[in-house]
Formats: sequence, C-alpha cells, structure tokens
Amino acid sequence: MKATNEQTVLERAKQALNDEFLRNAVKLTTEKLKNGRLSAAKQLGNWEEWRERARQIRQHTIAHLDYYLNQFADQARKQGVHVHFAKDGKEAVEIAIRIAISKQAQTVVKSKSMVSEEIHMNEALEQNGIESVETDLGEYIIQLAGEMPSHIIIPAIHKNRKQIAELLSRDANETLAPDTAVLAGYVRKKLREKFLAADIGMTGCNFAIAETGSIVLFENEGNARMVSTLPKTQITLMGMERIVPTWDDLEVMATMLPRSATGQRLTVYMSGITGPRRPDDGDGPEEMHVIILDNGRSLQLGDPEFQELLHCIRCGACLNACPVYRHIGGHSYGSTYSGPIGAVLKPALNKNVLEWDDVANASSLCGACYEACPVKIPLHDMLVYLRRRKNEAGAGLCSEKWMMKGFKVVMAKPHRLRAVLKAGRLGQMPLVRDGAISAHLGPLKGWTAYRRFPALAKPSFRERWPHLQAELKEKARRASVKEHVQLRLKQIREKRTKKTGGNRDE
Amino acid sequence: MNEQEQAQRQFIVNISQRLGRPMPKTPPEHPFRGAPPFWKEHTRAIAADPARMIAQFIECWQQAGGEAKSFPSLDGLRTFIVDTATEMKARAFIRHRHPLLDELKLEEELSESDWTVWDGQRPEEMKNKANAADIGVIVADYAVSATGTIVTMSSADKGRSVSLLPPMLIAIVPASCIRSSLGEVMSQISAIGMERMPAGIHFISGPSRSADIENDLTIGVHGPGIVYALIFEDR
Ligand code: SF4
Repeated sequence: MKATNEQTVLERAKQALNDEFLRNAVKLTTEKLKNGRLSAAKQLGNWEEWRERARQIRQHTIAHLDYYLNQFADQARKQGVHVHFAKDGKEAVEIAIRIAISKQAQTVVKSKSMVSEEIHMNEALEQNGIESVETDLGEYIIQLAGEMPSHIIIPAIHKNRKQIAELLSRDANETLAPDTAVLAGYVRKKLREKFLAADIGMTGCNFAIAETGSIVLFENEGNARMVSTLPKTQITLMGMERIVPTWDDLEVMATMLPRSATGQRLTVYMSGITGPRRPDDGDGPEEMHVIILDNGRSLQLGDPEFQELLHCIRCGACLNACPVYRHIGGHSYGSTYSGPIGAVLKPALNKNVLEWDDVANASSLCGACYEACPVKIPLHDMLVYLRRRKNEAGAGLCSEKWMMKGFKVVMAKPHRLRAVLKAGRLGQMPLVRDGAISAHLGPLKGWTAYRRFPALAKPSFRERWPHLQAELKEKARRASVKEHVQLRLKQIREKRTKKTGGNRDE
Repeated sequence: MNEQEQAQRQFIVNISQRLGRPMPKTPPEHPFRGAPPFWKEHTRAIAADPARMIAQFIECWQQAGGEAKSFPSLDGLRTFIVDTATEMKARAFIRHRHPLLDELKLEEELSESDWTVWDGQRPEEMKNKANAADIGVIVADYAVSATGTIVTMSSADKGRSVSLLPPMLIAIVPASCIRSSLGEVMSQISAIGMERMPAGIHFISGPSRSADIENDLTIGVHGPGIVYALIFEDR
C-alpha cells in the first residue's frame, strides 16, 4: 500500500517535472500572483498589523464557533433561508440531491466551491441524471477535460491555450481559434444560456456573517452573481468554519483575501446575499438553502496543534509561496486541496495521519507558507506535528519515509538529478540551476524568522533534515501525545500573552 | 423541534464539546472587531476631504479597467451618457427606478432606443429585457474610495440583473454616497436591521474579468466588460 503510494507520488511528480509547459505555467502564474500579493501588501501598508488583526478575528470566531454558527443559522432562517447541517460529505450530498429532486431539476449551474469538490457533488448530481455545469471559466475548462483543479485560484493553470481551444471546439462543434477573446466569448455565450435556463444555482461561500445570516461571495467573472440571481433555487455549500461575526469583520477579510489571492484591492464582485428575493424583488432566487458542512472540521477543534487550520480563508497564497508547489504543480498532491494547506488539511480532515503519506512530505519546511498566510497559520509547524504523529501512530521512523518525496525525486538522488539535467528537462528550473540546490530552497528568512528552529546558516534541506529529525525523535521519546499536547498548549498560551493580545479563547 | 433544528442542535453541541465548554449563552466579548484602529484613523482623515475621496475613487476604478469621470452638473452628466451611448450604437437600455434617473430624462434624449425601467412585479419580462439590453444604468447606493468600489442594494426598484446581464454598465455615483473605506459601508449595512436587509448587496470594482486562459486577462467574461462610474457632484 505504502509502496504504491510512493510510486504514485514519484510518478506524479516526475510527470509534472517532465511537462515543460506545466512547469513554466505554474512557475509564471504563481510568481505573478506572489508578486501581486507583495505589491498589494506594500501598497496597503501596515501589512503585519492587518495580518495580526485578521488572525485575531479568525481565532476569536473559531474559538466561539458554536455561538456564531448558531447565530448565523438563526438569523438566516429569519430571512427565509433553509439552513441544513451535514456532518459529512455524504449527508451534504444527500440534502442537495433531495432538494434538486424535489425541484425536478434538470440543470444545476455552479460557481466555484471547494466544498463541492471535496464532497464530489458533481458526480452525485450526474448519477441522479442532473446536469451540473461549472461556470467559472477555468472550472468549465477543467470540467470539459474531466480533471481536477490544480490551483485554488486558477484551476486550469495547467492547460495551454491550444489545449483549451481544442476542448472548447469540441464543445462548440466548430473550430474555435486559440485566441483568448474568442474562447472566452464562446464560453460567455454558451453559459449565458445555461444561467437563464438552469433550475438551481449552486454556490460556495467565502464568508458567512453571523449577525445578519448573510453569505458572502468573492469573484471576478460575475458567474457567482449569475448563479445567485437567475435560477429559482439557490443552494449554498458552506464549510462550517466560514463564519465571521459581523460585517465590520468582513472589512478585514475583504482587505486580506483578494490581496493575498491575486493582489487585487478587492475582487471585481463581492456579494452579500441575505435570504431569498423579497416579495417585491424582480430577481434573485425564490428559495435559498445553505448546507453547512463539518466533514472532519470539528476534529480540529480543541486540538492545540491543528485548530488554527480552521482559520484558513482559502486564498492560495501559501501555494504561490511554496517552492515545492511551484515546481510540481497541484495535481501531484492528488487531492482537492493542494499546496501546503492541502498537505495538512487532507490528513487532518480525515484524522488519519497514516494518510499523510507521500506528497505531503513534499514540503521543505522553509516557512514561506507561514509568511505568506494572511491569517498567520503556522503550516510549517503543522507539517512537523503531522510527521511526529505519524511516528506516534506507529508508522515507524524511517528516514527514507521521512524524507520529502516530491523533492526527493530530483533532489535526494544526485544521479537522478544529473540524468534529468542531461535530458535537458530541468534547464529552466531555478531550483537546480548551477547545481546549487540549497540556495533556492525557499527564502531563508523563513528560517531565521521561524520561531521553533534557531537560525541556521544557509543549510540545505539535506543538511537541515537530520537536525529536524533528531528533534522529532527526541520529542517523540520524551513526550506522550497527551503530555506533548499540554506542553504545546502551555507554549501557545505563554507565547500569546507575550504578544499583542487578542488571543483569549474564552 | 423539526428535523433541521435537531440536526443543528447536534452539530452545535458537538462543537461545544470539542471546544471543551458549554455553549456561551451571551454574545462573546469581541474586542478585536473590524479593522485595526490605525486604519480607521487613516480613512477618517481621507473622509474629511471629499475631493480627495473622488480622486482616489477615480484612480482605483480606472486601475481596475473601468472608466470614471466626475460631473458638477446633471446636464453635463446627461450629455456625456447620451454621447457615449450614441457612439457605442446602443439600442436597448434597462435601468433602475430611481429619482435621479427620472430627473436625467435619458429616455427623452435617446428616444429612438428601447428603454426598460425595472419593475419587480414583472420578473420574467425584466429578465428578458436585462438579458437583451446593451447598457444597464444604475445609481450606486454607496461607493468606496479606498478600493474603487460601487455598492448596489437590491429592491423592487433595483434589480440585480441590471448591473450584471448587459455587456455595459453605467453607474451614477452621487458624490455624497462616497465613503473612504469599506468599513464605513459595512457599518451602514449592519445598521439596516433584519427587517429591511436587502437580499442582494453587491460590491462592484471594475469590469468582469478572468485570467483563466494562460494568464491572459480577458474582460467581460460573464458580467459587463465596459463599466462607467460617473460621479455626480451633488454636494
Ligand atoms: S493557509 Fe493561509 S495562505 Fe494558505 S490558503 Fe489558507 S489562508 Fe491562504
């Protein structure tokens, strides 16, 4: 089983590394997004203070999630929303299908929703004979291709214009020129008909506002607005952690999310939707459902090492910052959520560290993800905890297994690296240019600013690893899980009372 | 207790248990609500200077790819819209029902064109008209200078489709509606109260766009690709 996984990740990563277009596309795009974020942060000013405020709000909300979720549900019901709670993906899908069947729906138009991917909503709809159409341009393209999104913000990052033109031409039954305007124009026309005819609009939910029972959608294309304006029934899929207490708090999220995702001041559209259309309104859904999903999220609550995972606002900044992601692309992670956040989220949601197998190892622990994160989630710490827990769960502490395997493909085996270099495949990888692997392994300031490890003098990953490993071994030896958890709790408390405040969980 | 409420109870009880305490009965103290203090001070200073807010709004809106212009009089505004619409050869219009638009009398100036005034009582007709229109015309409820954003709230007179379905949008922004930060609009929204909350509150910051095909920026993917924010200096 493990061996299979290993092969799979090796293959997936190799495949990605061999696909020159993909490599360049991911590199260029993530670079562009990353620079966009950096200049947006600079332009705004006081970025660290904003980050801290965003973290405080997320922490406060999650620490009182029961209260705010209850408030949200009560307020939304007052506005006429049907609020459903689903403890897992299966339940959420069942609820949605039940609604769709009761509406005798033939077509569902969808705007981007990670939750929908997480619970395989499209497959369930199709199995019930209901057409489901992704309407975000990138999502539409990958739906036609029958693939998974490879980036939170730019799902079709791995497709080139010619491939897209071929896909859309097949869809159109005529040849479309590989020209962005032509292709986008075709999709606009095609999907407009779908929007107008669909029975149900299905959306995700970026934030839900407890004080008024509103849901908030961020987007650039206008498809989420279409989906929540034209069909008679709206179904919104919402992860239970999406809450913010008030509209005031939304200002902070609206300041951080678009800047961190794409470098925009604000997405082109931000829509606050509060219930179905009012009796005199001429548009908007007549019926609105919100399905609130747990699916392993509540397992993070009360866990001092992972509760902060629920602070995530799904901006994708950690992907763009991650040296590993930027070289292997999202598909190598083999799950809905990719990059550093995906590497932690997947095993955490399943509460199964043994699932944290292959490519999650593909992290250089350089701390770039933490530095990029607008809500300051210590993802690099969490990766270490996962490694430790996997060991505690009895998976054994074998150095081979512990090595990050995605990078190992090109890094750990110099002969392989040389072979690939000879084949001319890796010429453009800054990572290995000049044969100087270590210097490019992520910003070193990530290490010096990193609170758990002392500043090391420009160590290579392989130099770093034994160090880390020794620390982990030592920790595993002296602390049982429970003791360690308590220790960590204490550390968190101490650390936080020393800082600016706003850390009270009570 | 119905089935939905029961599911809610179980769901919430589980969360409280995981958090290791009973559910709070009173609203939790929330000392870090909203934007940090320095930001509120900063935007308050800008808010004291209306000309600066207008300039900032125009700059941001244009940076996002929109057109923006400020008009001291209704006549100037009217002439600009008529000229632009004529130049674009627009034939069909749909607009919000709003006193300022009534006063502009665009229908009289562009009498050759097909005009629809939003009427919530005729939803099917409105949908078709909005879909067929070349230009949607609205009056913004608010605008935000820090982000270059206009805000429109749905009602029986103000369909959401007007700012969404036509390929071109003209939003008239009364200068008195411009706020310096998102937060100022947010607190107005909080104050509306549950009974009068609009179903759709839309913040719009430029033309519909996508970079999904090879990072190549495309404008007007689903929503309007041409967007005018025309400021009317009403104060
Ligand atoms: S972990 Fe942080 S950086 Fe990564 S997607 Fe979530 S909020 Fe964004």
